[in-house]
Amino acid sequence: MLEISDLCAGYGGVPALRSIDFRVGQQEHVAILGPNGAGKTTLLKTISGTVEADSGSIRLDGQDLRSQAPHKRVEAGIVHVPQGRMIFASMTVADNLRLGGHRRTARDRHDERRELVLEIFPALADMLGRDGGALSGGQQQMLAVARGVMACPRLLMLDEPSMGLAPRAADDIFEGIARLLKSETTAMIVVEQRAHEALEVCDRAYVLESGEVALEATNRELLADETLAATYLGSGHDRRRNSGTKPWSRCAPPSPRPPAQC
Amino acid sequence: MVEFLQFLVPGILIGGVYALLASGLGLIFGVMRVVNFAQADFMMLAMYLSWALFAGGFGLDPFLAVPAVFVLFLVLGMAVHWLFIRFVIGKRENHDAQVILTIGLGLIFQNLILIRYSSEPRVVAPSYANAGDFIGDIFISRVRLYAFLLSVLVAALLFLFLNRSRTGRAIRAASENWEAATYMGIDIDRTNRIAFGVGVALTAVGGSALVTFQSITPFVGFRFVVVMFAAVVLGGLGSVSGAFVGGVLIGIIQSVSQVWTSAAVKNVWVFALFLLILYVRPNGLFGKVQRAI
Repeated sequence: MLEISDLCAGYGGVPALRSIDFRVGQQEHVAILGPNGAGKTTLLKTISGTVEADSGSIRLDGQDLRSQAPHKRVEAGIVHVPQGRMIFASMTVADNLRLGGHRRTARDRHDERRELVLEIFPALADMLGRDGGALSGGQQQMLAVARGVMACPRLLMLDEPSMGLAPRAADDIFEGIARLLKSETTAMIVVEQRAHEALEVCDRAYVLESGEVALEATNRELLADETLAATYLGSGHDRRRNSGTKPWSRCAPPSPRPPAQC
Repeated sequence: MVEFLQFLVPGILIGGVYALLASGLGLIFGVMRVVNFAQADFMMLAMYLSWALFAGGFGLDPFLAVPAVFVLFLVLGMAVHWLFIRFVIGKRENHDAQVILTIGLGLIFQNLILIRYSSEPRVVAPSYANAGDFIGDIFISRVRLYAFLLSVLVAALLFLFLNRSRTGRAIRAASENWEAATYMGIDIDRTNRIAFGVGVALTAVGGSALVTFQSITPFVGFRFVVVMFAAVVLGGLGSVSGAFVGGVLIGIIQSVSQVWTSAAVKNVWVFALFLLILYVRPNGLFGKVQRAI
């Protein structure tokens, strides 16, 4: 469905993505893992259009996306739930959901979509009249995901849905996503630091490092191979013990490499 | 007490018009973070249009001309956005360009009108221009009452538009977080264009409300630009309802201060309060944004 080849992008001449090849199949769920600064968020933004690609191609069902304005890409079914939630704080939960359904194909199905969304995140049902800014972090994240689901996405992109949340709240989000995937046949990209949770709902994963694809594997391969798991998911299940090693040294700056052909 | 009310009531009435003038400026700033220095000159153009429709043989009452003024200036505003403003929106370093562009547009408007109509003051005097009614001991001027009621009506319609319509919601979303709004599939360029058009049209309607008791010159904007900016800053940058409250407040202070001091120093009181409020609440009464430029 989504095919990206040889994609390069950056900010003010500093490359953030170097020659990325990436694809998501029809109804496939793909995880993007990797340390901070690896380019995961930039990749999602390049797909949704808020960051412009420098070169390479992005195609949806064979149609070129790079020439399309960001809002046209939403009309095409690509729905981005951004990092940091970005809910509309001064608007009610109900209005936030309504804006989520701004996409043309979703407009006539507002009531039906809202029912679905409230089944996925029942906690939101009691808060429809409250301002988005009055919600807790976990509730805001639920709202952010719910707002994305309102748009009837063909490809749903979740950028770190557990970021900044207490473990309990993060579990609620992942449970909601699992419920969503039971009732919807949408394709999905999940960027996550909590690699194990992400792999539970995904078929395949890419590991990014310094703006390049360091590894592409099915979740079974990743979870079965102990060296891979240790390197990319944090040894066993204890990430802290490994914090000095390369991929998960979360604060290390990306290693200086000669820029590829970007 | 009667003397106080005799000043308070006209203050509220003119404050409603200030609120309408300021809401357009506030909407444009709130949505696209552009300080439109030409805003008062759009008001001036609308005043000349109302005058032309009234005195130019049509004899159209300025209050009845309001729908036409609104539609014309909506289109004019959208055209100005499409032709100029959209090229200087967004990036931080564009602020200089925004200031120069909008001041330049204002100067061009003033001088085009000056060439066409000279600097001779024009007056729109409908038959009821000097009429009024006594409520108790308080005299209420008919034209000022109409101007106020018009402002209230337009404010209510603006509120409905922003809160109840799909486009209005999209405009609010874009003004709160353009990136998130983009992810909702909202066309930011379109919401900006509409917001600029509506903002210009609101101020234009405010101008039409003024013509029955304010003489018109090409430079009449200067008399109101300061009030408009003060109202927007007082209410809080980025808040349309704040601009409304700021406008009414300024009208009241200008008028009520005349109980104690000469009308010549009425704006001194406005700015004393202005400084006081900004000292206590640096973001204004309902402010969301820290700085504009």
